[in-house]
Amino acid sequence: MGLFILRRVGVMLLTALCLTFIVFFLTNLYPNLEKLAKTQGNMRMTDEQVDSWLSERGYLDPLPVKYGRWLGVVPGWTFEDPDDGKVRGRCIEPGMDPAEAPRYCGILQGDWGFSTVFKDEVGTVTANRLALTGKLMFWVMVLMVPSALLIGVLAGMREGSKLDRSLSTFSIASTATPEYVSGVIFITLLASSSGVKWFKGTATSAADNATFENFFLPVLTIALYGVGYIARMTRASMTEVMTAQYIRTARLKGVSFRNIVLKHALRNALIAPFTVIMLQFPWLLNGVVIVETLFNYKGFGWTLVQAAGNNDIELLLACSVAAVFVVLVTQLISDIGYVFLNPRIRIA
Amino acid sequence: MTITNPSRIHPAAKMHAEELAEGKISRREFLTRATALGVTTAAAYNMIGATPAEAGGHAKMGGTIRYQMEVRGLKEPRVYDWPQIANLMRGNFEYLVEYNNDGSVRGMLLESWDVSDDAKTVVLNVRTGVMWDDGTELTAEDVARNIAGWCEKDVEGNSMAGRMNTLIDPDTNVAIEGAIEVVDSHTVRLNLPKPDITIMVGMADYPAAIIPADFDADDIINSQGTGPFKLMELEVGVKARLERKPDHTWWGTEIYGGPFLDAIEYIDYGTDPSAFLAAFDAEEIDSLYESVGEFIDVMDSLELERSEVVTGATMVIRTNQATEVDGKAIYADKRVRQAFALSVNNDVVLELGYGNRGVPAENHHVAPVHPEYAELPKPEYNPEKALALMEEAGMADFEHELISIDDDWRKNSTDAAAAMMRDAGLNIKRTILPGSTFWNDWAKYPFSSTSWNHRPLGVQVLALAYRSGEAWNESAFSNAEFDSLLGEGLSIADADARREVMAKIQMVMQEEGVIVQPYWRSLYNHSRPGWVGTGIHISYEHHHYKWAMAA
Repeated sequence: MGLFILRRVGVMLLTALCLTFIVFFLTNLYPNLEKLAKTQGNMRMTDEQVDSWLSERGYLDPLPVKYGRWLGVVPGWTFEDPDDGKVRGRCIEPGMDPAEAPRYCGILQGDWGFSTVFKDEVGTVTANRLALTGKLMFWVMVLMVPSALLIGVLAGMREGSKLDRSLSTFSIASTATPEYVSGVIFITLLASSSGVKWFKGTATSAADNATFENFFLPVLTIALYGVGYIARMTRASMTEVMTAQYIRTARLKGVSFRNIVLKHALRNALIAPFTVIMLQFPWLLNGVVIVETLFNYKGFGWTLVQAAGNNDIELLLACSVAAVFVVLVTQLISDIGYVFLNPRIRIA
Repeated sequence: MTITNPSRIHPAAKMHAEELAEGKISRREFLTRATALGVTTAAAYNMIGATPAEAGGHAKMGGTIRYQMEVRGLKEPRVYDWPQIANLMRGNFEYLVEYNNDGSVRGMLLESWDVSDDAKTVVLNVRTGVMWDDGTELTAEDVARNIAGWCEKDVEGNSMAGRMNTLIDPDTNVAIEGAIEVVDSHTVRLNLPKPDITIMVGMADYPAAIIPADFDADDIINSQGTGPFKLMELEVGVKARLERKPDHTWWGTEIYGGPFLDAIEYIDYGTDPSAFLAAFDAEEIDSLYESVGEFIDVMDSLELERSEVVTGATMVIRTNQATEVDGKAIYADKRVRQAFALSVNNDVVLELGYGNRGVPAENHHVAPVHPEYAELPKPEYNPEKALALMEEAGMADFEHELISIDDDWRKNSTDAAAAMMRDAGLNIKRTILPGSTFWNDWAKYPFSSTSWNHRPLGVQVLALAYRSGEAWNESAFSNAEFDSLLGEGLSIADADARREVMAKIQMVMQEEGVIVQPYWRSLYNHSRPGWVGTGIHISYEHHHYKWAMAA
């Protein structure tokens, strides 16, 4: 088990390294750097000014060197201003004496860099935004998982019954409705002057103070999309289990239907949905982009859009690392969870 | 100690009062001109026997307003490229003079100012008793240092250099020796090499904030200032919070009243007006930066209070005469540019793109609200001639890509113009860019639409946007005749005399087909009932000290 986890962590580090290098390469293409210089310096800079702005900040050095700096295995750049003799550098914080500044400052030293668009430490920005999306995800899971499992189990118990047909129709309809459609419909019907004003059509204030009123609609919008999918998976798994030999045996022994479902079928039927639910986490992390934008909730998805739109290199890298981390950790949990749900599976 | 004699009123101002009486100019024009000549607002109103309208009067102390506005990263004031940035710091960094919706300019950090008859000497009388946060008094030295800073043309993106152009030595790109003269502790004299009438209104513009001697561009948020509010919290793209400085005595309380509020919260809802609507519905905001397009009508139906101001703000569809498309500067050809102007009926764009919330414009970027506006015949609308010109230029088959930002009014107006160009037989492709990328290259697009804010004098925007080599010259217009005429116009203090030059300038703009300018906009914003002073400002300035809860 320990070796398995260790191997997984190794894979995670390797994936993160590859992914960040690709992101790094793409964000460091010259047109992207030019865009960065113009948004940071001034939109009306000439090409010469762009070049001097970039080279003064070490952006024009060879790619491996720059990547090494970000990792913290190559010393950070320094630049001495010819006008006033002031020394600036990657590792020199404002107000710090250049002589005392550390030579290396990358993620190995725990420094994630500085976000050019948010004018703040990347570590702080990512942590704050991830926490907000975490809050959103938590409530989505609280709403989505129980209702999806309930719908799936009820539908799968008796395949082909009226209950099955109506619940299946609902699941398919909810999965087939994209978030940008359901979100807009909810806002119009439930949170505006043209419908009833039960809820709030914006979740901006939910960042500090989430209430049922301002947070329910974004949660519902995301949850509804996932509910149908998980319910369909659960139903398929449930119907398969219900036709298994041991269920028939149990029924012939005279076990009540209720006990068959709860004690014999449910655990086996939950193996497949468990993976799907775990897969929902990474999907949610990046899938919240639309809902966060729609409801103006400033979480991870919104940050990703801002970072990509402004070519905020270090923030994008941190976002990629966070995404890799979430994907692999949830997969790890899903694999370990398997062992407990299904004793036939062993992890070497 | 001041040089201005209170009883002395600039002779040109008296002349303007007569013009107003004769109906030759409007009240707004009179106020702009008279106050730019150093007449105080009160005196200017007196000259024409009117009383100024003030929003305050029913204000009560305390309260926090939640205001929708894009929250952008701070920069040093002279390189500000957005009024929003200025608004974040406006509570702390104050201005020498303040431009108001009625077209008047009034003294803030200046007690008064005096423009000589030949418009070559400007005496600035700094207000006494204005204190920095560290307890030292604002002096003439501070003002002179700031003006000298505005004149540093080599600073990347310093747009104040354009406004202070007359003071700048073209050889050194800094202020001319002796042009900024500190007379005594509270008097600065500007000795201009040639007459310039726009200096005073230029000092009212949003990058002209007065910053302290110990200003640090890396730590703007903690910088000291003279104003009553301090920026306590700033999360770019999310929110900002201004709080009234505790135990702070503001110089303006006795003179102009206020400040009333305890705190101002700016909340960023992106650029989509439907998000603003949802925020109003959710009661998360009290006031809006600006209401645009069809949302004005929607907001009207929500029991919100609407405010409106008629301006010289506009949208222009311009070609860049220098940008190359497929290796050729296609818009250097005058016929191509004229064809665009001929193919668009400005009235239709106003109706379809902006719901008739404004007045049609005449493709020369001088507004009827500007004092020196010369009335010209309406621009010709002639689709057949447009196509003929395009064919003559050999560009009939070329597909012109017309770029606009992705928003409500600019997109719709550009669409309407593009549709008319197509109707005339021109080959147009529309491209819509999101707001986050549009502005990266705004001045370089070969063919695109741009919004321009209002400026008090007609010559100002021409000097900023169409003079050869200016930073904001997005059309790359470079015309010796235009430059010399504009230089002449900029030296005539008397608006009537200037109008003769202006007529020629306007004709050059039209003849050269520099821009297709469909309309002048009225600006609107909405506030929830119960607030006073939060109405929209003619150039998007937020005068926080005027804002209050209604008593």
